[in-house]
Amino acid sequence: MNQIIPKIKDMIIMLDKVWFPLSLTLWIATISSILVLFSGVVIAYIFARRDFRGRELVELLVTLPLILPPTVIGYLLVILVGRNGFLGNLIYNFFGTGVMFTWQAAVIAAYTVSLPLMVRAAQAAIEAVDRELEYAAYILGRSEIETALLITLPLAKRGILAGLVLSFARAVGEFGATLMLAGNIPGKTNTMSISIYSAFQAGNDELAQTLVIILIFISLLAISLTGRFIGKLEV
Amino acid sequence: MGVKIDLKKQYNETNLGRKKSVKKSFVLDVSFEMENELVVLFGPSGSGKTTLFKCISGITDLDEGKIIVGNKVYFDKEKKINLSIQKRNLGYVFQNYTLFPHMNVRKNIECGLKGWEKEAKEKRVLEMLSLLHIDELENRYPSQLSGGQKQRVALARALAPKPEILLLDEPFSALDLEIRTRLAEKIKDLQSKIGIPVLFITHNLEEAFQLADKILVLYEGKAQQFGTPEEILYHPENLHVAELVGISNIFDDAYVKECDEESKSIVLKSESLSLRVKTQRFKPGDKVSWGIHPENITLLLPDSNSENQNENTYSVRINNIINKGPKKRITLTLVRCGKILTADVPAQFVDSLKLHAGDICLAKLEMTKVVAFCELPLS
Repeated sequence: MNQIIPKIKDMIIMLDKVWFPLSLTLWIATISSILVLFSGVVIAYIFARRDFRGRELVELLVTLPLILPPTVIGYLLVILVGRNGFLGNLIYNFFGTGVMFTWQAAVIAAYTVSLPLMVRAAQAAIEAVDRELEYAAYILGRSEIETALLITLPLAKRGILAGLVLSFARAVGEFGATLMLAGNIPGKTNTMSISIYSAFQAGNDELAQTLVIILIFISLLAISLTGRFIGKLEV
Repeated sequence: MGVKIDLKKQYNETNLGRKKSVKKSFVLDVSFEMENELVVLFGPSGSGKTTLFKCISGITDLDEGKIIVGNKVYFDKEKKINLSIQKRNLGYVFQNYTLFPHMNVRKNIECGLKGWEKEAKEKRVLEMLSLLHIDELENRYPSQLSGGQKQRVALARALAPKPEILLLDEPFSALDLEIRTRLAEKIKDLQSKIGIPVLFITHNLEEAFQLADKILVLYEGKAQQFGTPEEILYHPENLHVAELVGISNIFDDAYVKECDEESKSIVLKSESLSLRVKTQRFKPGDKVSWGIHPENITLLLPDSNSENQNENTYSVRINNIINKGPKKRITLTLVRCGKILTADVPAQFVDSLKLHAGDICLAKLEMTKVVAFCELPLS
């Protein structure tokens, strides 16, 4: 009995240490994924169906975070949303508080790095939808927005869902840009991947291992879900 | 309610992808008017038939011209009218049907009934299902339908919103011959039932003649001739039309020797050949081409009917005979001038006359079946 109580205590402490980063990470990834879903699908639709001047440049900008080092993205984001940045200034004037070193900053970082995954997957799926199906709907009197909602997006849902799962997984694993933008404030912005790094640095192997196992589990789940969607949603 | 179409479009077809765009440009130049009838657009692939449909429906923008359907102006360059696709109210059946794969038959048909009251919608769907005899397909998905069924569903969907004109783009191209013929009958029937103008694209000659009230012949983007099937077949206006309706014996060395008002015919002189043709389109001295469809050459045995007694009947030597199943294709040389003709003759006839290569017989070129036209397309 004397041995069990400290063990339970240890576990509770551990659970406490794991619980916050886990819930924070899932929260950030969920909010980021919702934003990515709506904006990413709109951007993907525009890329797939519209030709405008400078489209290639915009496409490049959206895709860039895929290949840029996370620290570069973080740095650029700090310039953009930091206290003196263009967006940061706007936010400060509007809300009276900055966004740096908050969980919202972590969402911004996660959103930026996972958006291109969504856009690329959704764009490919939308481009694969037969344009004549859309014209057929226009001819039946449906507006472009109705057609997109009734025809194009439902037919592209496989790619969109795959993009969503990938974006979510990417947001869960986000580290570099988050660290630069949101920092590592225990109980505030210490996400899973950041906590792993801190635990490792502090020599807390047990915590690091637990977090690593959970992250691997989440990633495996995401991959199997993607596989499921791609296999199952065949129309 | 008439339809008036008069349009010009410089068409540059570019690939939408980021691959190097392949440009192929041609000019679509078409002008015709029609009533509540079935007009077949006939021409080889690449002649602009589908492009014309895309212009009428508004998928492709036009450079110049007018499109008026009934009392609705779809497009008028001068008045700067260009109705959006959604407002044109036409029925369009695409070549590959374009049924929405994630919707069942009922939902597909309902798609065009935006803003209808629920009961009216219900009623209209049932009406369409029974009009096309597809009641039992209501809950099926497109992937569960045969080609002919898809075709009928696509028609039902196109007709449900009560369009003012119906465009059918090679609707039978993917179907078996037997179903084709049956559906063609159905379309003709349907056209008279719904009483709206129908434009029908095909590159199948038999289909064109089976269906058409009038035929518009297209070649390389330009309307070549617009007329009844008989006019197209027996009075083609130029070489393109003649070739498209299958006239293969064409000679361009003739001139009009005399015109006979009484019998409404002319006499052509083609080298040493004199040929009477039923037409009133030419004046004496006009340079013309003439031709005849291989199936319209009649072979006779050289007995009492000698060459000189009968008009348009000439001695020919049989060069060779090719077996084409129920028909035999015979290559003939006109003894008098060495011109070569091909004739498609029923096999039974050839067999019963025991015709062989090298034989001499008579070929009659029926004057109502010989066609004459100007060498160059009338511009």
